[in-house]
Amino acid sequence: MTVTEEHAPEIGKARARKEDARLITGRSRYTDNMVLPGMLHLAMVRSPLARARITSIDTSAARSAPGVVRVLTGKDLTGEQGSMPNAWPVTEDQKAPPHPAVAEETVNFAGEIVAVVIARSPAAARDAVELVDVDYEPLTPVVDLATAARDEELIYPELGTNHSATWVFDSAEAGTGGDIKEAISAAEIVVERTFRQQRLIPAFMEPRSTVVDPTGEQLTVWSATQIPHILRVMLALTLGIPESKLRVIAPDVGGGFGGKLQVTPEEVITVLAARHTGKPCKYTETRSETMVGAHHGRDQIQTLRISAKADGTVTGLDVHLVANMGAYLGLITSGIPILGAFMYNGIYKFPAYRFECTNVFTNQVWTDAYRGAGRPEATFAIERMMDELATELGMDPIEVREKNWIQHDEFPFATVSSLEYDSGNYEAATAKALELFGYDELRAEQTRRRESGDVVQLGIGVSTFTEMCGLAPSRVLGALSYAAGGWEHAQVRVLPTGKVEVVTGVSPHGQGHVTSWSQIVADRLGVAFEDVEVLHGDTQVSQRGLDTYGSRSLAVGGMAVVAAADKVIEKAKVVAAHLLEAATDDIEFSGGQFTVRGTDQGVGFGDVAFAVFAAHDLPDGFEPSLDSDATYDPENFSFPHGTHLAAMEVDTETGQVRVRKYVCVDDVGNVINPMIVDGQVHGGLAQGIAQALFEEAVYDDSGTLLTGSFTEYLVPSAPDLPSFTTDRTVTPSTTNALGVKGVGEAGTIASTPAIVNGVLDAIRQFGVSDVEMPCSPSRVWHAIQAARVGSGAGTGHTGTGGEEARR
Amino acid sequence: MQLEHHFEVPASRAETWARFNDLEQVVPCFPGASLTEVDGDEFTGSVKVKLGPISLQYNGSGRYVERDEAAGRIVIEASGKDRRGNGNAGATVTAVLTEAGEGTAVEVVTEMDIGGKPAQFGRGMIQSISNKMLDKFLACIREKMTDSA
Repeated sequence: MTVTEEHAPEIGKARARKEDARLITGRSRYTDNMVLPGMLHLAMVRSPLARARITSIDTSAARSAPGVVRVLTGKDLTGEQGSMPNAWPVTEDQKAPPHPAVAEETVNFAGEIVAVVIARSPAAARDAVELVDVDYEPLTPVVDLATAARDEELIYPELGTNHSATWVFDSAEAGTGGDIKEAISAAEIVVERTFRQQRLIPAFMEPRSTVVDPTGEQLTVWSATQIPHILRVMLALTLGIPESKLRVIAPDVGGGFGGKLQVTPEEVITVLAARHTGKPCKYTETRSETMVGAHHGRDQIQTLRISAKADGTVTGLDVHLVANMGAYLGLITSGIPILGAFMYNGIYKFPAYRFECTNVFTNQVWTDAYRGAGRPEATFAIERMMDELATELGMDPIEVREKNWIQHDEFPFATVSSLEYDSGNYEAATAKALELFGYDELRAEQTRRRESGDVVQLGIGVSTFTEMCGLAPSRVLGALSYAAGGWEHAQVRVLPTGKVEVVTGVSPHGQGHVTSWSQIVADRLGVAFEDVEVLHGDTQVSQRGLDTYGSRSLAVGGMAVVAAADKVIEKAKVVAAHLLEAATDDIEFSGGQFTVRGTDQGVGFGDVAFAVFAAHDLPDGFEPSLDSDATYDPENFSFPHGTHLAAMEVDTETGQVRVRKYVCVDDVGNVINPMIVDGQVHGGLAQGIAQALFEEAVYDDSGTLLTGSFTEYLVPSAPDLPSFTTDRTVTPSTTNALGVKGVGEAGTIASTPAIVNGVLDAIRQFGVSDVEMPCSPSRVWHAIQAARVGSGAGTGHTGTGGEEARR
Repeated sequence: MQLEHHFEVPASRAETWARFNDLEQVVPCFPGASLTEVDGDEFTGSVKVKLGPISLQYNGSGRYVERDEAAGRIVIEASGKDRRGNGNAGATVTAVLTEAGEGTAVEVVTEMDIGGKPAQFGRGMIQSISNKMLDKFLACIREKMTDSA
């Protein structure tokens, strides 16, 4: 876009976030801050057992406790609470048990809600929870994923199996590549490995909270959610409330990471409580409740076979997953591992590919989206495999990747998993990363330390990644049996004074969309950054939208904003031509000025806005409004990529692991706000490194979550992490006009394998071939010891959960 | 979780056996425990425990599963649930009495099963607190038997 000198482009500027002044000076409004007249408070009675039949619930003592208004059990809500929605039946014969918001007959994970206390104060509600007397008949819990998959004890006998569904992609059948069996039988080398994707807890900063006001014409729901629009549709469908009678508001929301991409039992319950009492109701969970009751992420067993020629050229990839659903199917539980199916080939040219995933129920809280959702699991597995292949062949890990990756002049590239990558330059990102990292010097140091037998050994971890962002082309989602589309909506409203309101269907909860959207619109319409107001998260204001997840907001929602702004310009040109007495075709628009081509005649955007408002002198038949809506359905996903390098120091005597240096070069296409992009990458890296080194949700054999608080579930903070070196290459996306690709998940995806590859690179010399995540000092130490005594068990595996080794 | 204890009392096996079979004597020795009712081999009662920040009161019942005087073997099973819904707990206590010189040696193996909140938050504490409680329990019994000896 051409702009005049007075208007330096906003896009690309590291603008401080508009949102922050309010958020950091206490003018925030989170759901729990809401106070309504006569509001009642909810507290949940949760099952301490992972699997049991409810034999009786005595609520009499709770009901007569001070301040208690009502106590509801599953039986009280039978017939009106429906079943929690699953929007992604991955196969036609997918099996799933009914999922009532409040358990009716049985409980199937520890933390499941069995009764609800409604009281005049939060304290009264919580005190009365202790007075609800529930009798359970314990049933045998099935906690271990591999055990559950063997179908020895059935969690839901009526389903006949613990398997929910098996989903297969075969490149030979799809016509996107060769036959994996042939590839493997013809291979010069086949490497098979099994990896464990441990269970993680999305540790968003603001616990979930819902307020429901039933006193107006519409039932108004405030919720700490990523998805106000989807929540509205799903509440309507689940509870049979006319959608037009529901208004959903996501006010300030303190992080989500996929953990708030859910329609929750607690939301349904708060709506029902408001309906039963006729009063506004609030439920805010405690952190401990978040840990046991909000969905978890990851939790898969991945078995991969890769076939290759002796020179390192990969000829095929065979992937078998067992994915832990937990006790129920949440909103997209079943689809999360399937999202990964398209990413196991990573940035590589694999000629044959087969993927098979079996979704399995266990007596744990259900899994669902967590930052990256399926794609970090895929990237971890393939990037670990590329290192394993390099090791088997005695090649440098960079070299084996170079041999197989798509070259920059081969784009657009049709992948073996049926996607079309529009653009990328893996060579450029890798070259830049290697240079910033000082790869050769670190390799030399590694050799020196090895030779001198240093107690602290150095390892270099390499990972590349790409992911499918910008979810999603609606037709593709349809083909995958997802219940909704992937478009996004925006509206640009031009106020009489030339200021602009932008309504967006995405729902920011920490991403800084208000700032980025302002930058986009400021450039597009030539108005000041400060004169753009971005409105979101209230279905009464933002009437259409599909919300925020899957690094979609900019690539899809941002494009809707561009499309709406362009419609405004087209309308305004007609008015400008009229005011300038010229033909519309002769009007040019740049830097907020409409000019007649080849003359110095012009009129400003603000003047046109006022002329339209006054409507005194408009062209015949012109509708007096510049406001414009646009709904943008992407034609393709976007494919950011990057190369991440980690220098890992491992103390061979204590097993302590330290990130000495971390370099990443990401290519997220064009950048609207580099500071926001850096922030996304930094946060993503912290979360990805956390999976590699720190975090794991551990259940004991009876299904009790042992990591039920932040003293047990280790979320890293600044002292645990190094200073990151982040940089970028820019290869614009060719499928959207902004040339953007999405950055929300990038750091999380590539960092986990980079770290684990680095740890292994340091200790492979002792015969260690794997360390299960998180690579805690205990696991690393045990792996080294086991390998040194030559038991051949130097894998750092400690069985499911790895309870003993976790500390 | 399995806890093992061993101690000796300066009383004959027959005397010790009688003590161990007298619930009114045995139960009050357990810290925080009170007996509500005894009916033959069965009993009901409660146990109060403080586990760090969590106060628990388990109400429940138990029974003698095995009383083999010839083998000197007693097995008591008890289970209860917390009054405030924090979870269930169960224990199987197996005591084996053997003659040791003038006195009696007592081997106690306790199989404990604790679920819910205490397991979730008190994992690090359960073992040591359980051990401490059993220590107190057995010390009390030993004392009683020593006194009467």
